[in-house]
Amino acid sequence: MKLVVLVKQVPNTTRVKLDPKTGNLIREGLESIVNPDDLHALEAALGIKEETGGTVTALSMGPPQAVDALTQAIGMGADKGILLCDRAFAGADTWATSLTLSRAIRKLGEVDLIICGHQAIDGDTAQIGPQVADWLGLAQATYVKEIEHLTPADPDKPGKPGEIIVKRRLENGVERLACQLPALVTVIKELNQPRYAHMERLITACTDKADILVWNAADIGVNTCDVGLEGSNTHVIKTFTPNFKRQKEILEGSRQEVVAELFDRLKKSDTTLSGKFQGRPS
Amino acid sequence: MKKSDTPVKIRSNVEDMVRKTMKDFVDKEVIPIAREYDEQAKFPDHLFKQLGDMGLFGIRYPRDAGGSGGNTTLYCIAMQELARGLMSLGATVAMQCLMATNGLYLYGTPELHERYLYPALKGEKKGAFQLTEPDAGSDLKAVSTRATRTADGWVINGMKTWATSGPRADFHTVLCQTDPSKGLKGLGFFLVPSDTPGFSFSKPFDLLGTRSSSISEIYFSDCHIPAHHHLGQEGQGLSVLLKILAEIRIMTASLALGLHRAAMDDSVQYCKQRTAFGQPIGNYQLIQAKIANMAVNLEAGQLMVDKVTHLIDNGRSCLNEASMAKYFTVESACAAADEATRIFGGYAYSMEYSVQRYYRDNRFLLYGGGTHEVLQTTIGREILSK
Ligand SMILES: Cc1cc2nc3c(=O)[nH]c(=O)nc-3n(C[C@H](O)[C@H](O)[C@H](O)COP(=O)(O)OP(=O)(O)OC[C@H]3O[C@@H](n4cnc5c(N)ncnc54)[C@H](O)[C@@H]3O)c2cc1C
Ligand SMILES: Cc1cc2nc3c(=O)[nH]c(=O)nc-3n(C[C@H](O)[C@H](O)[C@H](O)COP(=O)(O)OP(=O)(O)OC[C@H]3O[C@@H](n4cnc5c(N)ncnc54)[C@H](O)[C@@H]3O)c2cc1C
Repeated sequence: MKLVVLVKQVPNTTRVKLDPKTGNLIREGLESIVNPDDLHALEAALGIKEETGGTVTALSMGPPQAVDALTQAIGMGADKGILLCDRAFAGADTWATSLTLSRAIRKLGEVDLIICGHQAIDGDTAQIGPQVADWLGLAQATYVKEIEHLTPADPDKPGKPGEIIVKRRLENGVERLACQLPALVTVIKELNQPRYAHMERLITACTDKADILVWNAADIGVNTCDVGLEGSNTHVIKTFTPNFKRQKEILEGSRQEVVAELFDRLKKSDTTLSGKFQGRPS
Repeated sequence: MKKSDTPVKIRSNVEDMVRKTMKDFVDKEVIPIAREYDEQAKFPDHLFKQLGDMGLFGIRYPRDAGGSGGNTTLYCIAMQELARGLMSLGATVAMQCLMATNGLYLYGTPELHERYLYPALKGEKKGAFQLTEPDAGSDLKAVSTRATRTADGWVINGMKTWATSGPRADFHTVLCQTDPSKGLKGLGFFLVPSDTPGFSFSKPFDLLGTRSSSISEIYFSDCHIPAHHHLGQEGQGLSVLLKILAEIRIMTASLALGLHRAAMDDSVQYCKQRTAFGQPIGNYQLIQAKIANMAVNLEAGQLMVDKVTHLIDNGRSCLNEASMAKYFTVESACAAADEATRIFGGYAYSMEYSVQRYYRDNRFLLYGGGTHEVLQTTIGREILSK
């Protein structure tokens, strides 16, 4: 099995601050981590590799320091890492990001399964997986919570593709889905418990011996006008933090009056305390 | 289309990656269970096993010895992070990586490596290191546990105390006297497996701090061991110890840095949350002074530790620098834990907050790796001798 895992380096916070002028993330001063969902994607790939054999390639688009995400992936057990790094890739929207990632995957040749996180904690769109599948014309399964079964293609039976059967978490249930390989799946936390990097692998991954390649726009054969800011179809006009001001009001009167007034108001408003608000206390 | 003119090679910084990995482990696995394990005086065996699976115990050993190919700097970074989470875990792991296994690594036969070293580096076997006796603490000349030659090996008789992991270890690196007439020159290290007939131990001690550690007295009564269990040459025990003494001290300093960091992080967070007289307490200058002192000492201690670990990794002798770093960082961590208990006000006195644990746990570092009275004496003596 040839497995590819998409890993994104993200700032270690869910309270992302935005530059009010450019609308972009302020990354300075924030520690970077591997996007949490992507650790589950890596764990899934490593589990498959351990069971069926094969190779795991971690792929990331990002600035030079995003190499840390690949080092961690190799520390956990991935065989190689590829960093898509080029000034031309900067400022990409999801369209341009997924185009860039899919071109790199194409350059890797035949791939059986691409696994990515469901969602990045900074960008939060959950679009990259589906878009990459679309660019590559592959079947896709999103929100995967369990990989039930995986049959690699049998080299002795050409024409008979491999298959993956997954369970997808839906809003109010679970869907079982079978896809022909090659396919792309996006995974959620429920899937597994990611391992930590092994020290020996991690230490080696920081040396010249590590199998980490850096590819730029030319390497993956894209025109610089099709990627990064230039290749982006969307344009951020404004980003802002919604300002929810707490509206305070102090009820006055005796304790009984205040409580009665409060219950009346709550009843009239849409406020739900826990479930439906019912009646007044005796 | 332009090809990139240089084949770009980008690699991560190994020190950052080890710290990041251990920090992540401590935040996710250690901190959430620290209070429970301390309260119940239980050792987190599952974490010990997990760290073994991660190859941490071999971090300072080369790959061909079953290690992970790291060095003292990486080892100490990992110990800083572990001690930030739970000192008992840090201390036990630190011992497994260094004192409990180094004699075995340097002087063990291939058979001993197969049986004890490789399993220890995987976390499948636990080791202990025994110098201290009831009447021999700082003064190793007073060690009286006796190793006597037999036809085919040695027989060990005597008693050790304060043996970290002693009651739970599978094997012990024990400092013994082979010839009382020779004093320090008669000392030697011996590997005693716990299943050796005549080996026994007391009930674990009830401790002030590091309560998750298992520490007891150890008794050797006619423990027969084969000749190759003598680790090193006869009478060379002291030099075996001296080989790693700087490293033991800088490891101890690293544990102190970790606890110092925890005390400071908790204090900073509390300063922002807690209000008094209508303001966060961090707005008051006397509180700011405490945070400033914690931060300055932490920074200075970190620099001392980094210097010594890099000297060790470059094969330079640095015992006095290591002693200074141990003395400074442990005293600073004690002060930081003490200040944290003031910043937390009365809540520091409740077992619900971790600061009381930092205050108790750090005191162990005052003794292990050399008491500060002894260190001050040796540091001063060394400087005056030049
Ligand atoms: C107009 C516009 C301009 C933007 N400009 C910038 C900018 O200047 N700077 C900036 O930092 N961001 C910018 N972004 C955000 C950036 O486009 C997204 O972060 C990126 O496209 C990925 O989307 P996401 O984070 O929502 O990922 P999701 O779709 O939520 O991620 C799902 C999964 O896809 C994979 N994945 C996502 N991104 C990558 C990646 N880079 N490498 C490998 N795998 C990946 C991971 O497996 C991840 O778990 C911009 C967005 C827009 C719309
Ligand atoms: C939690 C814990 C874990 C431990 N784990 C281990 C272990 O795994 N293995 C092990 O071998 N030991 C272990 N020890 C023991 C530790 O190494 C000793 O406590 C230490 O060596 C000091 O010896 P002592 O306690 O006998 O003190 P003593 O040496 O009796 O000292 C008592 C006091 O006299 C002072 N003093 C002694 N000599 C001098 C001098 N020359 N000049 C000035 N003052 C002096 C000391 O500084 C101290 O204040 C552990 C101790 C603790 C608390």
